Amino acid sequence: MLLTFARKQEKAVALWLKDFILTMQEFFLFSVRAFKAFPKAKRYWRDVLDQATICGTDSIPIVLVSAISIGSLLAIEVGNLLEDFGAKTMLGRSTSLSVIRELGPLLMGLMLSARFGSRNGSELGAMQISEQIDALRAFGTDPVAKLVMPRLVAALIMFLPLTALSDFAGLHSAAYMAEHYHRLDPGIFWNAVYPRLAPKDFVVGFLKAPVFAIIITLVSSFNGFSARGGTAGVGSSTIKGIVVSSGLVLVANFYVSKIVLENM
Amino acid sequence: MIELRNISLKYGDKEILKNVSLTVKDNTIKAILGPSGVGKSTILKLMLGLIKPNSGHVLIDGTDITSMKEASLYSIRRKMGMVFQGNALFDSLTISQNLGFFLRENMKLPEEEIERRVTEQIKFAGLEGYEDQLPESLSGGMRRRVAIGRALIFKPHMILFDEPTAGLDPVSSKKILSLIRDLRHNNNLGAVIVTHIIDDVFNVADCVAVLYQGEIIFDDVTEKLHQSQHPFIRSILSDKILEL
Repeated sequence: MLLTFARKQEKAVALWLKDFILTMQEFFLFSVRAFKAFPKAKRYWRDVLDQATICGTDSIPIVLVSAISIGSLLAIEVGNLLEDFGAKTMLGRSTSLSVIRELGPLLMGLMLSARFGSRNGSELGAMQISEQIDALRAFGTDPVAKLVMPRLVAALIMFLPLTALSDFAGLHSAAYMAEHYHRLDPGIFWNAVYPRLAPKDFVVGFLKAPVFAIIITLVSSFNGFSARGGTAGVGSSTIKGIVVSSGLVLVANFYVSKIVLENM
Repeated sequence: MIELRNISLKYGDKEILKNVSLTVKDNTIKAILGPSGVGKSTILKLMLGLIKPNSGHVLIDGTDITSMKEASLYSIRRKMGMVFQGNALFDSLTISQNLGFFLRENMKLPEEEIERRVTEQIKFAGLEGYEDQLPESLSGGMRRRVAIGRALIFKPHMILFDEPTAGLDPVSSKKILSLIRDLRHNNNLGAVIVTHIIDDVFNVADCVAVLYQGEIIFDDVTEKLHQSQHPFIRSILSDKILEL
């Protein structure tokens, strides 16, 4: 009986592994098709602009809210810690490094994974189950070029200014808290920020923007294209897209920091 | 002409089509009749190259499309128009934008010509006054007529209908069937109609193939269907609608 159970488990694992490898292969080919469609960006410029509005302009409020809250909290908590060591003048240095290298781009990535990724997953999933994607193919239009490439181009363009905005809002909210909560002179705060930031700090932060753009757009769109089984299928493919892209954003955040800081 | 030669298809362990062979000649209306979930819509998708068979060949006007790459298939697909079961209209576009969408996408036509063809299809479908409406504000029958108009706008040789009257009231169904007959008489178009409603077959089809348990059990002119002694065909002739 134990042997039968073990064999069943072995078969289930083998099936899962086969499915996983096939999905990875499909995802790879899907991504290649999206990148190969880049020369058509000029033809689909209206779609690129629409998507840039959705992932860029429309995302400003959520990026600002998350950056301001994390910048403020960071200034309060790090300031309290530094006060114990009599090093409160270092608040600008420590918060600017955290915001520009890590928290600014990471929070922006997670917020956009939820906002832009969920929109992609649900919209493309609904198009898939209502056969609109099949209709595009049936009438001779490449659905990846029409639907995925504009999203990818728009995300690659818009994630950079959003990262800058997130850094800017995070730093200024930290400076505000340093002045009004910790009673630290703004001159001391900013003097610890700008002269001490090295180019590699900006490279780490801003390199994450295109990496996150690729992860969020391709993972959410692929899951939308893979939606099956009615409205419930759209829901589960959207959730899967957000969970996987958020997880990958966290992993990529670590590796980009590690690789750049070790090599610059 | 569309030819399916010895097509077999499996989804996982489930065998959908077993060695299916079919021919659809130009200027004829062929119905594919069978119960729901038997693989009728799959046959239409095979004809368009939207899915690939496990074995066998699909030929469009003598060209084997079975192993063609997606990019090469686009020009072949434009020879055929497809009307999907759920219409597959783009819900964020108006009726006239839906009708003109693929002309703007795929044909280098002047805007005046596109507008002319859109107006022609709106008139043909009897949808004057609805040009700027979104699909959601139309009835099921109207949406189906827009889907037919969209399929016709390319001036295809053959048009594929997936359950053209499913989910429609009797009046709308009659209108759609008469639209299909008009297409044949006025435009010399061939058509493939997938349906589970036997009355639709007798109303419009010149010939019929019956799909049962993944196999074609009858393939001949519609009038000869009554002569078949196959138990399944005898049962559907008495029940008229297949809800199996």
